Amino acid sequence: MEKEKKIEYIKEKGISKLVLEHENHKLERNKQLEHYEDVMYQCGKCGTCRTIFKEAGWERVCPSGEFGGFEAFYLGGKNLLTWGITSGQIKWTEYLAKIFYQCSVCLACTQQCQIPEIHHYAGEWLMAMREEAVRLGFGPMSEQKRYTEHIMKENNPYLEKHENRLDWLPSNIKQSPDAKLLYFVGCTTSYREQNVAIATAEILNSLQIEFKILKDEYCCGSPVYMTGQTQKAKKIAEKNIEIFKDSGIEKIITSCAGCYRTLKDTYPKKFGLDHGIEVIHLPEFLLDKLNSGTLKFNNQINMKITYHDPCHIGRHMGIYETPREILKKIPGIELVEMIRNRHNAWCCGSGGGVRSAFKDLSAFAANERIEEAKKTSAKAIVSCCPFCLNQFKTHIKNNEIKAFDISELVRKVI
Amino acid sequence: MNNSKIVSELEKVVGEKYVSAQPEIQFLYHYDFITAEPEGKCDIAIIPNSAEEVQEIVKIANKYKTPVVPWVSGINFGSIATPRKGGIVVDLRRLNRVIEVNEDDMYAVIEGGVTWADLKGYLEKNHPDLRAGITWSPPGTGVVPACLCYGMFDLGMLGGTGAEFINGMEVVLGSGDLIKVGSCSLSNYWYGRQPLPDLAGLFIGWEGTTGIVTKMAVKLWPKLPYRTTYLAIGAKMKFGVPVMLKLSKAGLGICDIYFVNLGWLQSVQELNEKDVIKDPVKNKMPDFFGLLTTQAYTEKQHKAQCEAIEAICTESKLRMRPTEETQAPIQLWGCWNFARGGGGQWIGSYCSTRDIVKYYEQSREICIKYGRPPQFYSRLMFGGHYCVARTNINFNKNDPNEIKIARKLLKEIHDVVQELDGVVMYKPPKWAVQTYHDKTLPATSDLIRKIKQLLDPNNIMNPGQGIGGD
Ligand SMILES: Cc1cc2nc3c(=O)[nH]c(=O)nc-3n(C[C@H](O)[C@H](O)[C@H](O)COP(=O)(O)OP(=O)(O)OC[C@H]3O[C@@H](n4cnc5c(N)ncnc54)[C@H](O)[C@@H]3O)c2cc1C
Ligand code: SF4
Ligand code: SF4
Repeated sequence: MEKEKKIEYIKEKGISKLVLEHENHKLERNKQLEHYEDVMYQCGKCGTCRTIFKEAGWERVCPSGEFGGFEAFYLGGKNLLTWGITSGQIKWTEYLAKIFYQCSVCLACTQQCQIPEIHHYAGEWLMAMREEAVRLGFGPMSEQKRYTEHIMKENNPYLEKHENRLDWLPSNIKQSPDAKLLYFVGCTTSYREQNVAIATAEILNSLQIEFKILKDEYCCGSPVYMTGQTQKAKKIAEKNIEIFKDSGIEKIITSCAGCYRTLKDTYPKKFGLDHGIEVIHLPEFLLDKLNSGTLKFNNQINMKITYHDPCHIGRHMGIYETPREILKKIPGIELVEMIRNRHNAWCCGSGGGVRSAFKDLSAFAANERIEEAKKTSAKAIVSCCPFCLNQFKTHIKNNEIKAFDISELVRKVI
Repeated sequence: MNNSKIVSELEKVVGEKYVSAQPEIQFLYHYDFITAEPEGKCDIAIIPNSAEEVQEIVKIANKYKTPVVPWVSGINFGSIATPRKGGIVVDLRRLNRVIEVNEDDMYAVIEGGVTWADLKGYLEKNHPDLRAGITWSPPGTGVVPACLCYGMFDLGMLGGTGAEFINGMEVVLGSGDLIKVGSCSLSNYWYGRQPLPDLAGLFIGWEGTTGIVTKMAVKLWPKLPYRTTYLAIGAKMKFGVPVMLKLSKAGLGICDIYFVNLGWLQSVQELNEKDVIKDPVKNKMPDFFGLLTTQAYTEKQHKAQCEAIEAICTESKLRMRPTEETQAPIQLWGCWNFARGGGGQWIGSYCSTRDIVKYYEQSREICIKYGRPPQFYSRLMFGGHYCVARTNINFNKNDPNEIKIARKLLKEIHDVVQELDGVVMYKPPKWAVQTYHDKTLPATSDLIRKIKQLLDPNNIMNPGQGIGGD
């Protein structure tokens, strides 16, 4: 593919990198709006960010734009509205904030833009605009405020009780109280996709890995951070790090793409909380064990599947191949790709606070992805994020296709 | 203008979701966000989904005598889709369907808002043996406006301007009536504009001031299996151009032929204007880069064509060698961003091939006077019958002073090249249109005005733009 020649993935950086010979404008990430105010207006409202650039039939990539219709809902519109704000041409309004929140921050758009500064950094000012909205009292959206309050009280956004967090934990799971390895389960897995938690814990047990699960596990803060509430999210992070340190944790495995990104990237790079704890995503851990021969697949699953790249490990963290490599090694599995895959994957529509505040957009995005998966004739969509999984399960009709987490498949074949 | 009343009538046509009078939505239509042209004003934006809806919108606009501006992506480099007198911007992005491809007669019938990405994607998936002529504009820009505004495609040597790629149209007139132009007006086939009176001219070159095209048939071309692109490098434009002209007339299967100076080459290589040498000629750097693509059906035919091309170059002492195909079209990064300020504009003209070198040298001098690297580009069209010549400039659109200088610079280039007989600017901003009136016979200008009046009696179609209106 023509574009592949020009692209390399920056490890743990979050996004692919357009390899340009003359990259003379390097910016820092995770800064406030002012830091980017001399770049976003390079945008020409050209619309390149609406479709896959030069690949895959120029398919559409932006859920927010395709749903919202007007240019304001695409990245180009958001860039120029941001310029409108920084240059004083327009004013903050509730509607403006709504435009910025009606976006899953999936970053499919940035991958297509051919202006280097926008390609690399637009995700930063999409987040900075949310922060600004919060600072000025226009954000977050009311549903997001409600879940944030609940997180502050009960440590999860699902309006569930904290004391029920470990209800999923079967008595047969063996933990090691002195382990330095933590399985960080996360809110969605704990309360909504408990199969993922059980499968993960059972895999760890079968590998005889010494690990523990915290009785006092709290939300990682991702839903708070992603909706622009940086200060509140930072407080959550500080509390979590304190708990990790008190529990002697040196390494964290998580089966959630959102928790992974938050613990590994957001804590140190955005909040400046350098916790020094190694954070790995379950597929990374599994592939390592497979390659070293510790993990063996003894059974078979005869099924055609397709893999959905979660935004939080794909475009946000640059992990595309690890889960695919595992899936391909499962005996009997035939992996087929959707047209939009890897850095071009269509978002499931649950991230960035969209699922709580913009239900129609969220359903639109999920249905579009489910239809795309069905076109491959796969029998199941497999992902490695409980939020994506839950989104698919909620929107799949009449059992037309199944949805699994990678941990569930691996659990079946060991 | 009573916006809320109009909005509620428009909502009945397209649904609430697709009409907006919100300032945040309007903001994205009030300026083209690339050029140094002044901002305009959008009162209402609407996104129709069918020709019938477009008709209803135009009827409502007539009732309230409010302007209607057809719009696909609004980045045509002449600011000709910027609403100059307020009113309703009709954003055609939902009219994005490729309705039919006729492989025998090689055309595609597309809706008025189809983008290059839509068309290319559709052909790649469904008709991989056919290709459309493609611009260098971004994939999100419109095919129909490019054809209507004499756009310039990578198959220009075969087919001429975008207007010549048009086989037929369905148009909503300024009155709201729907008409068809070309063979499609009498049959189900859209193979051409012959043999009825060619009404296409009522909409080509009018910058959306006579009607809104809701469907258009555009010519497609076969993909031939043998293709080579050559790159020629020469010291100066004046040495390279005659050779390219000779090649264009030699009948060697050439489907595209164009040449640029060093400034243009640097701008498309993602360099920063601030870092490049302003006057390559003075610094003895090569300043002529020619590209041509030849194609053939058989290997033998192709070999013979290539040999002849190489022989002409050798004979003319022009260095030329095969290169990777650079014409794989659609957008060379963001060529409006050479100055890293998101601002760009050009004086782009059709002209006689006799004047290419003069056009370049005159505009070059002005750019250098302003301390800007000249960026020149010329494409030979339709078997070498005429050409496009264009000088680009870039600036920081966030800096009012730079915008002021850019306007002055553009005006100066325009005024100088207009003195060359035969230079006629395409997609001209309103300030440049006056030149047409000054040059044409009064009776021609008068006829143009009368046609405009007939098709758009209330002068609501994109007022303040194009040659026909005020
Ligand atoms: C970086 C860049 C490179 C470019 N390179 C090229 C190039 O190589 N060749 C080329 O030809 N062009 C080029 N262009 C110019 C232009 O963008 C394209 O021609 C494009 O296809 C026009 O589409 P648009 O969506 O910008 O048109 P718009 O700006 O939306 O419309 C242009 C004009 O047509 C009218 N109009 C739009 N749709 C209709 C309709 N359906 N019916 C009637 N009137 C209508 C509008 O009112 C306006 O007057 C380039 C532009 C950019 C930004
Ligand atoms: S963000 Fe990039 S691709 Fe999108 S409109 Fe702006 S310049 Fe074009
Ligand atoms: S981040 Fe995703 S939803 Fe938001 S503008 Fe970009 S592509 Fe659209």
